[in-house]
Amino acid sequence: MIDTVIRQALRDSVNEVLEKMFFVQTLGEFSDLEVAGHPPEAEMAARLDFQGEPAGSLRLRLTSVAAKQIAADFLGIDAADVSDLQVSEVIRELANMTCGSVLSRVESSTAFNLSAPQIVPPSEEDTGSLWNTRYAVELSNGRLTVNITTESPTCSQPAESAY
Amino acid sequence: MAYRVLIVDDSPAMRTFVRRVIDLSGFELSECFEASNGQEALEILNHEWVDAILTDINMPGMDGQEFLRRLSQDELLRSIPAIVISTDATSHRMASMASLGARGYVTKPFLPEALRAELERTLGVPCD
Repeated sequence: MIDTVIRQALRDSVNEVLEKMFFVQTLGEFSDLEVAGHPPEAEMAARLDFQGEPAGSLRLRLTSVAAKQIAADFLGIDAADVSDLQVSEVIRELANMTCGSVLSRVESSTAFNLSAPQIVPPSEEDTGSLWNTRYAVELSNGRLTVNITTESPTCSQPAESAY
Repeated sequence: MAYRVLIVDDSPAMRTFVRRVIDLSGFELSECFEASNGQEALEILNHEWVDAILTDINMPGMDGQEFLRRLSQDELLRSIPAIVISTDATSHRMASMASLGARGYVTKPFLPEALRAELERTLGVPCD
């Protein structure tokens, strides 16, 4: 089931994080059907778990070309000069910021704890949770997909969007 | 006047980004030190004076909370303004870090101007 509060917070967070920290504008949103029907491309993924109300996990997948460009934009260097290690560090940071931003929007008065983000196989799927919310966007050179699964639905309304 | 700043974050990418954003913002930086956790930061502060500290919270080894606690217990170091940079924008976390001595708080994501404004506010730099 989709948690509409999380979905709104996820949309706002992804756009704000990409714009402010990575200087990237998204080109449009993908529906679940479009994501499923997209031809396979090389991707990388990061995942982190969070404790709080609710607890859950965030998984972020990014096409490899887009990951390299995002890392270059974040570090202020040319994409050709970005190492695989730097790409991994930046993608973990992107996952961390996105997750923190989402949770701050949905539970602004409750403490939460994030685990350290880990690079995981892009094929890994989150299963076993009823509440699974996905947001996928097109970037100029690839695609970013973020999944949040929670053990229970959120109760609060999202904070007002800055957009 | 140019300032000496210490950036404390376990992510090398984030340290690079913060330093870059400080430069982009137009804040005058004379020297920038980097540490990957609170312990490394304290070692740097043993032999280098800085005007401001920018610190993450979640770090392996000594985290940001313990680092702020140690700063507040030191007669000399407690005078250095510390600004927390975190993804956690909850009022609970902000209050907790303020109680440990943080004088500023910047939530990620942030714009270069926001970081500059917080640095200038905590350093008492007069507005243009």
